[in-house]
Amino acid sequence: MNLLARIQRPLGFMTLLWLGVGLWMVFQAPLDFQQGNSVRILYAHVTSAKMSLFCYILLTITSITYLIKKSETADIISEATVPVGAAFTAVTLASGSIWGKPMWGTWWAWDARLTSMLVLLIIYMGLMALRSSLDEPLKAARATAILAIIGAVDLPIIHYSVVWWRTLHQPASFGGSSGNPSIGGDLLPPLLVMAIAFIFLGAYLVVVKAQEIAALRKLEALDIERMEQDD
Amino acid sequence: MAKLAVTGLHHRFGRHKVLRGVELSMHSGECVVLFGDNGSGKSTLLTLLSTRFALQKGQYILDGLDSRSQGEEIRSKSVFISHNSHLYGHLTPVENLLFFTELRQLDCSKETIRKAIDNVGLTRFADRPSRWFSAGMKKRLTLARVLLAKPTLLLLDEPYSALDTQGVTWLNNILADFLSNSGMIIMASHDPQRVAALSHTPLFLKKGQLSTKKEALSC
Amino acid sequence: MLKAAYRIAWKDMVGDLRRRSSLSSMLFFSIAVLVVFQAAFEPDRQAAVKLLPGLVWATMLFTSLMGLGRVFQAEEENGAFEGLLLASVPRGIIFLGKWMGNLLLTLLVQAMILPLTMILFNVDAWHVIHHIFGVLVLGILGLTGLGVLLAAMTQAARSRETLLALLLLPLVAPLLIAGVQATAGVMEVDGQPWPWIKLLLIFDTVYLALAPWGFSWLVEE
Repeated sequence: MNLLARIQRPLGFMTLLWLGVGLWMVFQAPLDFQQGNSVRILYAHVTSAKMSLFCYILLTITSITYLIKKSETADIISEATVPVGAAFTAVTLASGSIWGKPMWGTWWAWDARLTSMLVLLIIYMGLMALRSSLDEPLKAARATAILAIIGAVDLPIIHYSVVWWRTLHQPASFGGSSGNPSIGGDLLPPLLVMAIAFIFLGAYLVVVKAQEIAALRKLEALDIERMEQDD
Repeated sequence: MAKLAVTGLHHRFGRHKVLRGVELSMHSGECVVLFGDNGSGKSTLLTLLSTRFALQKGQYILDGLDSRSQGEEIRSKSVFISHNSHLYGHLTPVENLLFFTELRQLDCSKETIRKAIDNVGLTRFADRPSRWFSAGMKKRLTLARVLLAKPTLLLLDEPYSALDTQGVTWLNNILADFLSNSGMIIMASHDPQRVAALSHTPLFLKKGQLSTKKEALSC
Repeated sequence: MLKAAYRIAWKDMVGDLRRRSSLSSMLFFSIAVLVVFQAAFEPDRQAAVKLLPGLVWATMLFTSLMGLGRVFQAEEENGAFEGLLLASVPRGIIFLGKWMGNLLLTLLVQAMILPLTMILFNVDAWHVIHHIFGVLVLGILGLTGLGVLLAAMTQAARSRETLLALLLLPLVAPLLIAGVQATAGVMEVDGQPWPWIKLLLIFDTVYLALAPWGFSWLVEE
């Protein structure tokens, strides 16, 4: 936990720095021939989509660590990662919708990536709901860790079943199966800078949230201790 | 060698430490009664010995079996009667006991089970759903499990609650019988008078440790 | 060892049959769902044939949610669940028993609902009803496997039935997609159900392997 407190501020500075440079580059970047100004939305959309998956990968790792090692730190990081991941997923869905309206003419399409993202958001929500509705902290920690792992197994199955089901989306951005990235050469540098900025942002948010959770738990433990002394 | 050996047992719920180094060793035919305040960890200790909770720190050996690696074997050698009766309301006593014996992979015929029900004085109710049983009748039915399973170790959490004076004498007879057949009993109680008829070793749980002295138990 | 699992399943089935509450409420609930679908879509005979796969699977999903909400109810009175965990069998076997009990109940209810759906919606697919039911069984295997684990997870939670639905429905999305497509496939003359049946089998295998493991982690304290 001490480590978290120490890296919080540097992480915050790095986030500001990279985000500042990234945004500047995004607005310097040339417009896309077809997509016009709305292409700029993609810099936030693609990066937050990656982050929502990164968060889930982190969550899976900390969940497995918690089950095996019973370490409370792993559980705190799990708990902190869930809302951050949910926020990135929500941003992905919202930005995708705003970008999609002028491009496809609809707010929403039931294609593989959008559907998996929506399911991912519901799973994040489910994890939060499960933890908050179990009164025993240890039971809640175990149950959410197991659910997170089940979700990790489920997400690829969901993705491929929807891919089979229907596909009308354009190929994925970072080097899709077709080989040529759909974002052209000039657009790639700002995207990479934005990706780094978002990684710092995600890490910063998780660290802040984890410290809040750790403080709350400590408070609760102190409360219990005081009640025992009153007896 | 002791039949039951517990060394350096610690247990905590989150940050809350309940047991801090419990030591206990017992021989066949011995009966230990745990006294202690509410929340002193009596039930936690019994639950740990039943292997319902996994050990966090320390060692627990019953009959040469280590609870960390041989929990299932220990479970088949001990019976835990907690304040929950573990009975299914929609099943009759015969069915409840049949369920219990099959989960323990005991080979019991229906006659053996009916005999056990006779012994705990529930003959007339043997084929009625146990949902409407009184607390005392449920207690009697749970004790029939001891007669069927013939465990090495019997764990009892407040066994005298819900029993009348006759019931207490009856229970003490069953327990004395169990002890004379070289069984071991660990019982949590707050009622020294009711266990008085049974020869036992009183132990006091205080600040997460066991001691033989009562003075440790202030207030 | 398996005998213990059969015994747990038997105990749950006896409870369902003696009380009849789960069985009859699941049955009437599914009829109510069918009435809602009829009122909402008012399909004619041709539309009903196209709707049937989705109808059958949606009804199955909602009905089995009801059954899953009750899986651990009988274990709650008198702390029976604690007693179950004190049995000298691995926890995976206990899960297997609970799962088989719920599986049997769900299969029983579905066996009654499927012909009822076809009668109420005037769908003439009686010559393939065994295929439709077969596909349904494949779905029920995985659904109940994951469902019983989630039911154990939400057992102690507040407003657990809502929570169970919230957790289960997104996770079984692939099952629903594959099941509806496979059912449509077996109903058409030159349908292609096999890829979807394969997906159902993958789902079943993954969850039936994962669930007992998850259960033993869940109850280990």
